[in-house]
Amino acid sequence: ASTSGAEHASARARGAAVERDEPPAIGIRCVAYNNQSNRLAVSRTDGTVEIYNLSANYFQEKFFPGHESRATEALCWAKGQRLFSAGLNGEIIEYDLQALNIKYAVDAFGGPIWSMAVSPCGSQLLVGCEDGSVKLFQITPDKIQFERNFDRQKSRILSLSWHPSGTHIAAGSIDYISVFAVKSGSAVHKMLVDRQYMGVSKRKCIIWGVAFLSDGTIISVDSAGKVQFWDSATGTLVKNHLIANADVQSIAVSDQEDSFVVGTAEGTVFHFQLVSVTSNSSEKQWVRTKPFQHHTHDVRAVAHSPTALISGGTDTHLVIRPLMEKVEVKNYDAALRKITFPHRRLISCSKKRHLLLFQFAHHLELWRLGSTVATGKNGDTLPLSKDADHLLHLKTKGPENIICSCISPCGSWIAYSTTSRFFLYRLNYEHDNISLQRVSKMPAFLRSALQILFSEDSTKLFVASNQGSLHTIRLLEGSFKHLHTFQPQSGTVESMCLLAVSPDGNWLAASGTSAGVHVYNIKHLKLHCTVPAYNFPVTALAIAPNTNNLVIAHSDQQVFEYSIPDKQYTEWSRTIQKQGFHYLWLQRDTPITHISFHPKRPMHILLHDAYMFCIIDKSLPLPNDKTLLYNPLPPTNESDVIRRRTAHAFKISKIYKPLLFMDLLDERTLVAVERPLDDIIAQLPPPIKKKKFGT
Amino acid sequence: MVQLRPRASRVPASATVDEGQPASEEEEEAGHGLLLGQPSSGAAAEPLEEDDEEGGDELDDEAPEELTFASAQAEAREEERRVRESVRRDKTLLKEKRKRREELFIEQKKRKLLPDNILEKLTTAGQTNIKKSSGKLKEANLQKENEDCDKGSDSKKAKVQKVQSVGQNKSYLALRLKDQDLRDSRQQAAKAFIQNSLYGPGTNRTTVNKFLSLENKRLPVKKAAAQFLNNAWGTQKKQNAKRFKRRWMVRKMKTSKK
Repeated sequence: ASTSGAEHASARARGAAVERDEPPAIGIRCVAYNNQSNRLAVSRTDGTVEIYNLSANYFQEKFFPGHESRATEALCWAKGQRLFSAGLNGEIIEYDLQALNIKYAVDAFGGPIWSMAVSPCGSQLLVGCEDGSVKLFQITPDKIQFERNFDRQKSRILSLSWHPSGTHIAAGSIDYISVFAVKSGSAVHKMLVDRQYMGVSKRKCIIWGVAFLSDGTIISVDSAGKVQFWDSATGTLVKNHLIANADVQSIAVSDQEDSFVVGTAEGTVFHFQLVSVTSNSSEKQWVRTKPFQHHTHDVRAVAHSPTALISGGTDTHLVIRPLMEKVEVKNYDAALRKITFPHRRLISCSKKRHLLLFQFAHHLELWRLGSTVATGKNGDTLPLSKDADHLLHLKTKGPENIICSCISPCGSWIAYSTTSRFFLYRLNYEHDNISLQRVSKMPAFLRSALQILFSEDSTKLFVASNQGSLHTIRLLEGSFKHLHTFQPQSGTVESMCLLAVSPDGNWLAASGTSAGVHVYNIKHLKLHCTVPAYNFPVTALAIAPNTNNLVIAHSDQQVFEYSIPDKQYTEWSRTIQKQGFHYLWLQRDTPITHISFHPKRPMHILLHDAYMFCIIDKSLPLPNDKTLLYNPLPPTNESDVIRRRTAHAFKISKIYKPLLFMDLLDERTLVAVERPLDDIIAQLPPPIKKKKFGT
Repeated sequence: MVQLRPRASRVPASATVDEGQPASEEEEEAGHGLLLGQPSSGAAAEPLEEDDEEGGDELDDEAPEELTFASAQAEAREEERRVRESVRRDKTLLKEKRKRREELFIEQKKRKLLPDNILEKLTTAGQTNIKKSSGKLKEANLQKENEDCDKGSDSKKAKVQKVQSVGQNKSYLALRLKDQDLRDSRQQAAKAFIQNSLYGPGTNRTTVNKFLSLENKRLPVKKAAAQFLNNAWGTQKKQNAKRFKRRWMVRKMKTSKK
């Protein structure tokens, strides 16, 4: 019986053991929640902006690659699903969510931009700059246009907030908060903030966040650990809460203005709510209700959706905490979600030469796997006779991040793409040496590729561009020839395109649009069929050898099997859809990122997500909700009958620490790439000191 | 205060010509010594009296010679004047040098400028799009003027005005390199501000290792720190050992073959 734990000598390639220039874990800097579409935009310290679809099981459906010069400090949504960001390079950038590129960048001419806020009506944009100026922009249908400057202040404007009526704004700076009248642009009030709660301090008090409520209250959070309530009509302090010994760095208010959330540098997130003073009085006051400690480092961004508190910070986790009182149905959906690992595959494998290609923000690493000649029983870790070898460290030129990369199955070609360029390299292996040769003059239409895939025989290259088209390139010895471009089909772009090619080289599948998964006939260069659209985005795609069954995994953990030659779902797929997946399978909170197959066992499908890997044996019966999903290996002294009775199709193994990649190298070897959480934490910047009794 | 000097310097006035001058000056200064506001007038009065008493006690070898306050003051003033003169001279020299350098730069700037006709074309092309973004352009121009005044001119870089959008040919966008430097320096300053306010002195930060080990310390059975081993320790030694081992193996194989 081929259970998951047996019959493999796993050669572990540990990505964390490698020397790197840049930190591999990129912290979160800003989050912005869009109520209409229930989407969350997250920007990281390297300039990457990711879009998470909270209704699609919190799946990261789109992303915009980062850029070295873009140090994003503010992110916000405007009317009509338009996304803007601003940063220390002084530019306001608008993102095109359909074409998946940057529409334009406008220089605000105020120096580095620290904060940005969209007006409540959605048609005006305000930025706070390094030189102390607050600039107003008008949002036109296709661009933004500078309108005027407000009164210039002495120090940099670090936070901004509009009054819900759009008549006043609050701007937090260093040691003071200003209130401006929008019509005149002049400062109406200037409220000085104490540097320390009832004390004197040499360090300046930085107002990290402000929020303006409709009753005229301004809430400010600052670096002394205080949350203060101000009255904007008189410009006076109403209430003072000292909640932390370190900076309080972010604040977000709910739409109903009855609760808000703040994040501190110690990693704690506090929830404040407006509650009545006594049970039947109408007078209300703000009370700190719940603390949450889900982060270890600074929480630099928080957001408040109607039902959940969202926080993200330097420790790179995105935490979504549904609020019990707001959730209607108390099922698994109301559980805490912590998104740590990428939702797409960053590692590709060359099975013939046992090579792994790791993709980082600014470089690629090529490793040859070690090997062992020892044998053992199930569950043993065998010693390596030959260590894993770091063959290549390929740095990208220029400030842009790498979007996607791939290595061909034969190991002779490496391709990767950035926003402005596409790179293709030919590798030559002589004994133990490896030499690299770049193929020059790659066509311009290949840049900004979202997904790159080589055919099984390594003669063709498939590239999915961000404009929606699919390009086929034939690879020749040291050069290439453009074969064909499949034009974008109708339908809006829902998520990043994923590609899969059949081992016999006849079929190409592409996902990402609202129309469904398209299957193209490569030999005849035309569209063969389209798998019916499903309302959750595709997270992984693969075509099985011989049978040419297309296996699709969606973000709601559904797995479909579609027969390409027959143009319909397979019998097995219908059966499992009718019965439904096991409830524990559906409750997994990380998406399936890779699917592969065993060359000699057509009934097996291998797939994995961040915390488990599973072999689905289609010949075995399907589990129903009453059977144990995570079947441990039955003890050997049990009789065969019992073993057969408890066996079911889903063989799941959780023995590996967080998995980034897992694939079958040959019939007897699996490769798994782990990313232990401790390694991520070890590379993070310093956290706030916590004093504990007895240490 | 009395300024005591060793005897050697106090040569009698007749021996050298130089000494003649201070002597005469001394008499001058002594005259209007009282007009100047001496801060330690009380203390100054004493040495004068002493001097009068002792008078020409130059033959006494034991006690050092006492100078009158007036003479010392005169010498100090002389020093001051000399220093002032030299500083003034230096300043004028520097001023001249700077003036010459300015002129040189202006010359070079003039030489480096593009011919006037091209500049005219660029400015007119920029003006066609001025209506919409007039406020921004004005700011940009103001900024550029300020930069000009501040930095003089970097003669090595070509000066081309920033083009908003040229109507006919959109194939290029001319940028001033100086703007990029300014932008970079501002960005660096902003990053430094954030780094300082979050991780600088006065913030209560600790290392990741200490942070993770805090729990281990409080367990009922105390465990070691999260990163107990320092893997970076002795890397050179380890490398040397590895190399030696390899060489030894090779030698051993050779001898065993023989």
